Amino acid sequence: MIKWYKVSSLLVVVVMVLSLLATACAAEQQKPAPPQPTGPITINVGVPMPLSGTAAPWGQIPTPLREGFIQVFNKDGFKVGDQTYNIKMVQVDDENTPEGGSAAAKELIENDGCKFFVGHWSWNFSAIAAVTNPAKVIFLTRNGAPDALPASWAGGGAYDPKTMPYVVFGTPSQEEFLADCFALVDAFPNYKKIGLVDSSVSKGGPGWIAVQKALDKQGVRWASEWFTPGTTDFSPMLTRLHEEGCDIVFVAGWVGEYMAMLKQRWELGYKDMHIACSGPFVSMDIYQSVVGVDAFEGAIGSYEAPWAFKKTKVNPNIIAQCQETLKIAAQTTGGPYDYTGEFPWVPAHVEILTQAMQKAGSVSDPDAIMNAIRGGTFDTTAGKWTMSGAQTYGSPIVFGTPASLCSIQNGKEVYLSEHPMEPLP
Amino acid sequence: MPPAGIWIDGLVQSCIYMTMAFGMVLVFSILGILNWTHGQFYMLGAFVVYYAVTAAGVPFPLSLLISGVIVGALGMVVEKLVIERLTGPGYGLLAVTAATMALIFFFEGAAGMAFGLMAKGMATTLPGVLDMGSFSISYQKIAVIIFTLVIMVAMYIVLNRTKVGKAIRATAQQPDAASLYGVNVGWVSLIVMGIGCSLAAMAGGIMGPVQSVDPFMGRIPMIMSLLAIVIGGLGSLTGAIVGGIILGLLNSVIAYKISYFSEVALFLLVIVILLIRPQGLFGAAPK
Repeated sequence: MIKWYKVSSLLVVVVMVLSLLATACAAEQQKPAPPQPTGPITINVGVPMPLSGTAAPWGQIPTPLREGFIQVFNKDGFKVGDQTYNIKMVQVDDENTPEGGSAAAKELIENDGCKFFVGHWSWNFSAIAAVTNPAKVIFLTRNGAPDALPASWAGGGAYDPKTMPYVVFGTPSQEEFLADCFALVDAFPNYKKIGLVDSSVSKGGPGWIAVQKALDKQGVRWASEWFTPGTTDFSPMLTRLHEEGCDIVFVAGWVGEYMAMLKQRWELGYKDMHIACSGPFVSMDIYQSVVGVDAFEGAIGSYEAPWAFKKTKVNPNIIAQCQETLKIAAQTTGGPYDYTGEFPWVPAHVEILTQAMQKAGSVSDPDAIMNAIRGGTFDTTAGKWTMSGAQTYGSPIVFGTPASLCSIQNGKEVYLSEHPMEPLP
Repeated sequence: MPPAGIWIDGLVQSCIYMTMAFGMVLVFSILGILNWTHGQFYMLGAFVVYYAVTAAGVPFPLSLLISGVIVGALGMVVEKLVIERLTGPGYGLLAVTAATMALIFFFEGAAGMAFGLMAKGMATTLPGVLDMGSFSISYQKIAVIIFTLVIMVAMYIVLNRTKVGKAIRATAQQPDAASLYGVNVGWVSLIVMGIGCSLAAMAGGIMGPVQSVDPFMGRIPMIMSLLAIVIGGLGSLTGAIVGGIILGLLNSVIAYKISYFSEVALFLLVIVILLIRPQGLFGAAPK
């Protein structure tokens, strides 16, 4: 009996152990295999942009270039770990107003699931930042608008690094304006005086105070004039600048007003007065038709064609991407497409963002991505640059991007000069 | 003393304001309303000229006449479909005012949809600058001044030497009496609206090569011509001309003297003129 009992007990134990082993083996066999890389995963990236109202042309005209760049970029996409990702650009009208910006930001986040905004330049920075920061949405924008400058500056902006930790000033327009002034001095070393022209909205603002101090420090001779928004007749202003001895007039990015000044300078007979603008020429045809072929000759504007830079080296692969982008944009529009002014915006911001994701090893952790952006070095359409981290404004702003200018010669953009940017103040 | 270039610039602006103001006063005299859409007829005229010149290759002077005819006809449609109905019994002045204000946004939006929001410019039809030594003036600006003179002389002849003109003047003075004498007041209203809009359209067209053309270009000329009317005296054609000249010259000279503060000074001056002479320079004193 005892023997039988011992044998049966032993058998039970063996069966139980075997059962447990079998279960464990089965469980091991049923354990899901580690995820294998599948097709590219698409990440929605928001682009709040003026698509209606008076600023709409500057949102609409570069759209084929933005779309073309994303198409080229997505051919290989970008990898984080073994997974390949693509970018989907979701462009929404921000009407260039605070209300429009706020509504566009909410729509992009809530309806389109965007965790990242790029390419923004409208005059609604603080309205959008008020929506993106609580939602931890990384917002690549520009500085330079009166509210898109640090609150700590003289004249007071609205940017506060403590409450806006997910803001990246990926295009330093404020510093670019100053560097453009120096680039003008480089191009015309025998200049008499630069007449700086901006809207009265910006008068006394933090950007102007900082720029004027920096110009004085470098010994640049300048005068300033202001116009009320909506002004169409600049003859009195140009006469004043001419009488003040200004042989260069530099307009802060007001394209319509800039065109009027080019034309009216010509009509006033001030043919030797150079008229420059801190923005790129959005379309040669528009300028020539509005300004007139003769008056447009010699016009000076920003020049963002990466293959033309002489002091800045751009990755040849990125140059090739940009050139392919122009071809796609030409096919889309059914004609020649020569606008290069968008390259430092959506394309550069996409490069910064995706390379930061690779460094962070994450496409979804905004804090890890921001840590990678701060002080990180990125290969962009405007060269290879190291972000300033938290050293400037408390924002990881790009520095060293070129302020490059061109002059119109026989109706074509011709490289004029280039000056590296430096942080303000 | 401002340089000659500033006076010429002011004179060019004066020409546009007086042409616009003349049309507005004409409409006010007969219809008893301020046509708030006047600036948008200015804008539409500029677009007609732009497309006539650039797309159809029509000579610039002829395109000005075409814009006057087309936009004048459009003004008559607006008068018939909107203004006439809203000035009838049961409607107040507020209704027609609101309607013409709504038409501002209607025409701007429609122009934006039809022609795009991008500023357009036509090649200068009279290229070149006349160098006068101490100052220069473009041939295009000379054309604006000559055009305005021709328009003013033509309007003088129409109003004083033609049957239509006499009917307009009679209706402006005593509509009931004019009606008793066989003048069709409804028809006169239609004609006057057409002439007023036609003047605005040609003013916009002549400025096309000087400035750029976009759907919002009519706003400032509209405000300025309204001020010209107020300065000159509401209802006075002479006042519209003098008010336009004063305002254009002041605008340019003050802008030259004090830069961007000019609008503050200009509008302050308008208020002072109205405080001293509420009826304007040529308006009848209130009874």
